[in-house]
Amino acid sequence: MTNEEALRLLHAYADGELDPARMLELEAHLAANPSARAACERLRGLSAAIRAKADYHAAPAGLAERLAASIPPAPVTRPRRFAVPRWLPSAAAVAGFALLAWIAATVAMRPGEDERLAAEVLDAHVRSTLAGRPFDVASSDQHTVKPWLSARLPFSPPVADLSAQGFELTGGRLDYVGGRRVAVLAYKRRQHLIDVFVWPSAARPHEPALTRDGFNIERFARDGMEFWVVSDLNRNELGDFARLLAEHSAL
Amino acid sequence: MLPHLDAAYNLARWITRNDHDAQDVVQEAVLRAFRFFEGLRGEPKPWLLAIVRNSCLSWLQVNRPADLAGFDDRVIETVASEEEGPEAQAMRTIDRRMLNEAIAALPAQFREVLVLRELEDMSYKEIARIADVPIGTVMSRLARARRLLGESVRAVSKAAGSADR
Repeated sequence: MTNEEALRLLHAYADGELDPARMLELEAHLAANPSARAACERLRGLSAAIRAKADYHAAPAGLAERLAASIPPAPVTRPRRFAVPRWLPSAAAVAGFALLAWIAATVAMRPGEDERLAAEVLDAHVRSTLAGRPFDVASSDQHTVKPWLSARLPFSPPVADLSAQGFELTGGRLDYVGGRRVAVLAYKRRQHLIDVFVWPSAARPHEPALTRDGFNIERFARDGMEFWVVSDLNRNELGDFARLLAEHSAL
Repeated sequence: MLPHLDAAYNLARWITRNDHDAQDVVQEAVLRAFRFFEGLRGEPKPWLLAIVRNSCLSWLQVNRPADLAGFDDRVIETVASEEEGPEAQAMRTIDRRMLNEAIAALPAQFREVLVLRELEDMSYKEIARIADVPIGTVMSRLARARRLLGESVRAVSKAAGSADR
C-alpha cells in the first residue's frame, strides 16, 4: 500500500467503515509509518473534538408541540392508512418465507419415491421369505421362468442364467410394487435368497446401493426396465451379482 | 411521539445556520414526511433526514441561494496529504465557540456530511442515502470537510497564539 493510498483510506479507517481486508492492510502500513500514524491520530483528535464541542441542536420544546398541533387529523388516520402498505410487504414476505420453509420441510421429511419403493421392495422380499414361498414357478431354467412371467405380465422381463457365476436361478413369481404388477426373479447364493424385482420404467439415475434393516439393495436400469435387487447377501457379492445381472439382461 | 425530531432539527439547524429558519423547515419537512409516509423504505431515521435535508436545500434555494453557491457537484479532487488535521494539542484546547464557527463556515455540502457523521453518528451508507450521492462521494466530501476544518482550526489557533505573545 502506498502512502497516498493509505492517507486516502484514513478517513474510512478512522470512521470504522473500512472492509476487513483493507483494514488489515492499512494497519500494517500504519505500523510501519509513524507519519501516517500521526495523521491518523490527528484525524481522531479532530473527530473527538467535534463530537465533544460542536453544538448539538436539539429540537426546541415548542417545535414538537406545534408539530403535534398541526398534525392532529393526519397522524391518527394517515399512519394507520399508510401503515398497511408499509407492513404488508414484510408480512407477506414472512408468510411467504414460512410457506417455503413448510414446503421444504415437508418435501425433506416425505420419503422420496426411491425411498418409498425401497421400502415396498424390501417388504415384498421379507414377506415372501416369511411365507416360505420364494417363487410361484420353480425352475432353474430361464426358458421356463421367462415365458411363465411373460404370460402373466404386460411385459417380458429378461431372465439371466448366472449359474456359471455361482448364482442359481430358483424360480420366478409375481408381486405388486409401486402400484404395479412386477416380475420377481428368485436367485440363490449359498443359503442367501436374492430377489430381483423388474418392471418397465423410463431409466432414472439412482443412487445404486442401499442398506435397509440389514438387507442390501442394488438398483439399476437397463433397456427400459428397472431392476431392484434385494438380499441379505453381503454388499460386495450382491454388487457383483447386480453387475453380472445387468450384463446378462440384454433383452 | 415524534421520533428523530432532535436529529431532524440538528441537521436543519446546521444546514440553515439559523434557529428560526430551522424550525420552519423542520415543521414543513415533518408534515411532508407524514404526507409521504408510504414512501418510507428501510430505516425511518435516514428517510426522515433525507426529507429534512431536501427541505433545507429547497428552502435555501428560494431564500438564501448564496448559501448554496458551488454546491452542485463541482468535483473537488483533493490530494491526500499528511496534514490531516491540526495537532492534537490544538484540538484539545480549541474554544467551543471557535469550533462551532469553523464548522458553520464550511460550505454546505461538506457541513452536512460532517454533521451527519460526527453528530448523528450515521454510517457512510446512511449519509449516502440522505445526501443522495454515492458512498465514494460521501467519503471524499467528509475528507474535504475535515481538511477544511483542520485548516481553519490551525489558522485560528495560530492567530490566538500570536495574539497571546
